[in-house]
Amino acid sequence: MSYCVNCGVELDKDAARCPLCQTPVVNPVCPVDTTIPPNFPVERREVEPVNRREAAVLLSAVYGVVSLCCVVLNLLFWWRGMPWSAIVAGACAMLWVWTVLPLLLRSVHSIFLVGLDLLAVAGFLWVISMAVDGGSWLGRLALPIWWGCSVVLLFLWYILPLRSILSRCMLVLGSCVVLMLWLELCIDLFLGGYQPMWSLVVAVVGVTLMAPLLIIRYRPDLRREVRRRFHF
Amino acid sequence: MVRRRGQDKGWFQLDNAAMMYSAIQSGTYSAVYRFSAVMAREVDPQALQRAIDRTMPRFPGFHVKIRKGVFWYYFEPDDTPGPYLQPDIQNPCQPVYFQNKDQLIRFFYYRHRISMEVFHALADGGGALVLFKTLLAVYLRELGEEIPNQEGILDVDEAPDPQEWEDAYARYARSRVRLRKSEPRAYPCTGTPEPFYTLNVTMGFVSVQALRQVAKSHGASITEYLAAVLIQSILARQRREGRRRELPVALAIPINLRPYFPTRTMRNFILTVRPSIDPELGDYTLEEIISQVHHHMRLHITRQEMQGVITRNVFFQNFLPLQLVPVPVKNFVVDTAYRLAGNRPYSTTYTNPGAFRVPEQMAPHIQHMEVVLGQSYTPRVNCASISYGDVMEITFAGTVKETDVERDFFRTLVQDGLHVKVTSNRRE
Repeated sequence: MSYCVNCGVELDKDAARCPLCQTPVVNPVCPVDTTIPPNFPVERREVEPVNRREAAVLLSAVYGVVSLCCVVLNLLFWWRGMPWSAIVAGACAMLWVWTVLPLLLRSVHSIFLVGLDLLAVAGFLWVISMAVDGGSWLGRLALPIWWGCSVVLLFLWYILPLRSILSRCMLVLGSCVVLMLWLELCIDLFLGGYQPMWSLVVAVVGVTLMAPLLIIRYRPDLRREVRRRFHF
Repeated sequence: MVRRRGQDKGWFQLDNAAMMYSAIQSGTYSAVYRFSAVMAREVDPQALQRAIDRTMPRFPGFHVKIRKGVFWYYFEPDDTPGPYLQPDIQNPCQPVYFQNKDQLIRFFYYRHRISMEVFHALADGGGALVLFKTLLAVYLRELGEEIPNQEGILDVDEAPDPQEWEDAYARYARSRVRLRKSEPRAYPCTGTPEPFYTLNVTMGFVSVQALRQVAKSHGASITEYLAAVLIQSILARQRREGRRRELPVALAIPINLRPYFPTRTMRNFILTVRPSIDPELGDYTLEEIISQVHHHMRLHITRQEMQGVITRNVFFQNFLPLQLVPVPVKNFVVDTAYRLAGNRPYSTTYTNPGAFRVPEQMAPHIQHMEVVLGQSYTPRVNCASISYGDVMEITFAGTVKETDVERDFFRTLVQDGLHVKVTSNRRE
């Protein structure tokens, strides 16, 4: 029998390392016996996860029935001068992407699903523009704003879980500043000419808040001092 | 005897603990535990399957399915054949989903080891050990041994006794006070998670006699001593992390209520106590931790206090406005409440079902017993121990890569002069 030189515990005859500290077993008197069967089985098995397909089918049926009923009502009884059922069907399609795809695509990365959700939003905007004959605002206003929001959201989705609380606050603030600047740019360009105003106020406030966070984040002495002064 | 509601209809209600375990059971949490007996001879699978087939009809409460009603889950007798014996696997205590083919009780064999996994909604460790002991006796009889029905072994030729399936919580929820406790957040003791469904198991074997002497030299019982050593290991881990503000280290220690409230039930009948150490108050020596654990357990394990907690738990179960909440909403609420009140205030779980006693004719056929707890919500290790003869088996099981808690734990035992043998299912 062998003992771990670090932990002082007796080990299995077939143990090549201590399971507690990973120290290799080197015992010329009693070498590792690889011929005996292991103490635990080596075959792994996993229970089958819950099948979400039934829930997905149920939700798909609900969205499908709602869309179909609205189309029938729209075409046969209640026209009101526009294909309003297309907006309802578009909303159902967007909800389908938001709720059913996560049930079916359980192994894909969440950022991929968020990307699909954002694409569904773009598709819904396109459907609304087609239904209300608003093609002009789609390309010049809605899609640029959607693009800016999507880039910021995907960036934050990817980066936030990896960062500390201070870094998260800075990233969220910085993203808000960038988004507001982009939003005013899109709106101003749509209305005629770029004259930045309110977004600059937001940017100044955001950067003012970020600056102390940045200094505290990268100056450990200051961080300790702030903690001491604020008793946290 | 309290008659189970719906008994004559072929279904029956879950008890208070079972409701919680059913609501929180998910792919990332496994309310499944395992008892294993390592036999003197290699297991005969045919004889063991015959023993299972003979034993299970005596324990109808273990051969059930969980069905989802509108307002509650409920148990329904499982008419499908089985449970069937399976070759053992490396990653035990897999989660249970309430699908048709899922068995709430599973049996495995591997070389000398017979294992039984039980979903916690069916029974606690005390109840499950009655079934396991009876199964082992029937198995040995199948091999030609003469084993008497003593030391808690039930006669499988008798009809099942309804008293064995009473909801003892409901029976003893009679306190005038609904005792409410708010527990602060404890150090979570989490580590790097393993890939999905991996359960790392590390077992240590110690002499019961030697352990009892060491515990006695510290003025504590074995459970109190082991709990204190575990707390010390977790405190050391927290200190190594270099946290600016250290959180209290607290254990959830399930207490078998049967000695305090007489019942023959094999269903759940446990509560937990929460010994804790707050390192912000200062550094504690092992002696001081043992003293804290010892006095906390003696102070809080009282019939009156536990009855107040039972009354509070059962009150929520019987509160009409809560009863009328549909199951999915109720599951969500219970799950959230468990994360806040059942998981956050504890660093880990330590359970000790006690000594596994068998008739003397049976004793030479069993080498030792083992117990394993399933995976927690968070990647951390749970600790469990069980003794048989002079062998105390201590298991650390969890979905965490690091081994520092168990390493410090067993090193402390070695430093206290105990001989420890360690084995693990971790692959290098």
